Amino acid sequence: MTWSGNEVRQQFPILQQKVNGKRLIYLDSAASAQKPQVVIDALSSVYSTNYANIHRGIYRLAEEATRQYEAARAKVAKFINAASTEEVIFVRNATEGLNLVAYSWGRSNVGAGDRIIVTEMEHHSNLVPWQWLAQEQGAELSFIPITDVGELDLAALPPLLADGRAKVLAISMMSNVLGTIPDLAEIIHLAHAAGVVVVLDGAQAVPHLPVDVQALDADFMAFSGHKLGGPGIGALWGRRELLVAMPPFLFGGDMILSVRKERSTWNELPYKFEAGTPAIAEAIAFGAAIDFLTELGMESVRQHERRLVTYALAKLSAVPGLQLLGPAPEKHGGAVSFWLEGIHPHDVAAILDEEGICVRAGQHCAAPLHQRFGIPASTRASYYVYNSNEDTDALVAGLHKVIKLLRR
Amino acid sequence: MSNLYREELLEHYHEPLNYGVIEDAEVDIDRDNPTCGDTIHLTARLDADDRIAEVKFEGQGCVVSMATASLLTEEVIGKSPEEISAWGLPDIEELLGGMRLSMGRVKCALLALTALQKGLAEAGR
Repeated sequence: MTWSGNEVRQQFPILQQKVNGKRLIYLDSAASAQKPQVVIDALSSVYSTNYANIHRGIYRLAEEATRQYEAARAKVAKFINAASTEEVIFVRNATEGLNLVAYSWGRSNVGAGDRIIVTEMEHHSNLVPWQWLAQEQGAELSFIPITDVGELDLAALPPLLADGRAKVLAISMMSNVLGTIPDLAEIIHLAHAAGVVVVLDGAQAVPHLPVDVQALDADFMAFSGHKLGGPGIGALWGRRELLVAMPPFLFGGDMILSVRKERSTWNELPYKFEAGTPAIAEAIAFGAAIDFLTELGMESVRQHERRLVTYALAKLSAVPGLQLLGPAPEKHGGAVSFWLEGIHPHDVAAILDEEGICVRAGQHCAAPLHQRFGIPASTRASYYVYNSNEDTDALVAGLHKVIKLLRR
Repeated sequence: MSNLYREELLEHYHEPLNYGVIEDAEVDIDRDNPTCGDTIHLTARLDADDRIAEVKFEGQGCVVSMATASLLTEEVIGKSPEEISAWGLPDIEELLGGMRLSMGRVKCALLALTALQKGLAEAGR
């Protein structure tokens, strides 16, 4: 299927509005993506026709809600090529998925003197849980550094693996600031050769490029549905044998098999990790978002964004005093961050807002990364299926207005 | 263009009043806003009647934080620490010409005031 950003844009009701009489330009999809009509319809349809609590009811409504909820799980599993649906756990978001792994797997498998490896480009959600685990267990937290061009310095990895202390490597599949797409095949190969479990933060990658967890040979991967056009929900994928051996993260209804006054036994996968009533309608609409992306084709999504980012990097680099962060287009996902010399990103974003352009200003939950590059904050434009080169042209024109107003 | 970026505030941003450091000042404080990286170093001197005689600041930040700091260094002259400690967002919004700040800019606007308040408190005032 061939498509353009402007055609896809038509399917997103929120993007049809005007801001200050101008076309709304949404360049903050790395924070959260907008929702296509089919997702809004799916949510509405669940509540209008098929809503009931799942896995318990005997009546038709409950059976239908359960069937749709489990069908959504199957869509997620297929989307990332999980070996089975029991490896897919619905969570609130990528953050909760990463916390689940750090808490449940981490506390059982990482001990005093062990090493936890992360990278300098991690979002706080794939850094702070590991900081906590290291402190809790007396383990050491080590970092793969970032080079000046915004790529991982992979030469630093083998020494971190060499002494046999490393137990886990947690890494983003795409930086939410730099857009960097690391060479995961190589990293996972090295980690596994040293017996290290690999946890992937897929929050930025899964919405934007084809992901096959079996081909990657990963161990865990967390991602968010709201970043791929779904509602506020996420998923954690884990390899079956790891999940089976892990203790539950949350306790309550649905995650138990039998309960006595003194003790209980745990339900089978994936229900062991889904305590309490889950986000039923959100899960079903998550499935609708995956259908939407599958119809566009994830390889086409990647190529579309690669064209947009190639154009954006070229146009932005011609703006006076603009310093781009992140690597060349072939290793660069949909997030483009920059620093406009002498102008605070808050002012950049506020003035662009007057032009109907939504960008993010700040540290994007990656404070250590900004410290690494010696800048207080950055401005980020992040692209998705509904963006086009017109959006970049408007962004660049807006930046010239910012400069005219604020630079002397 | 919203009144945040009107000429008067831009003047304060480009050429702030009382930019610099008072040597050996009684009030001497560094503050930052970790979410956006704004920083301020604020120094102040009190007179014999315990009223603010002079305030200077230096720092890095957006138009809102820097222009507010500039305006504030004039506004607080002659005020007592008690008066300053009672100030809050409405006073800053009035200082900025009666505008309503969006949620995202409140911390920027309060950076200089909270620095002064904390600095006075730390100096036992």
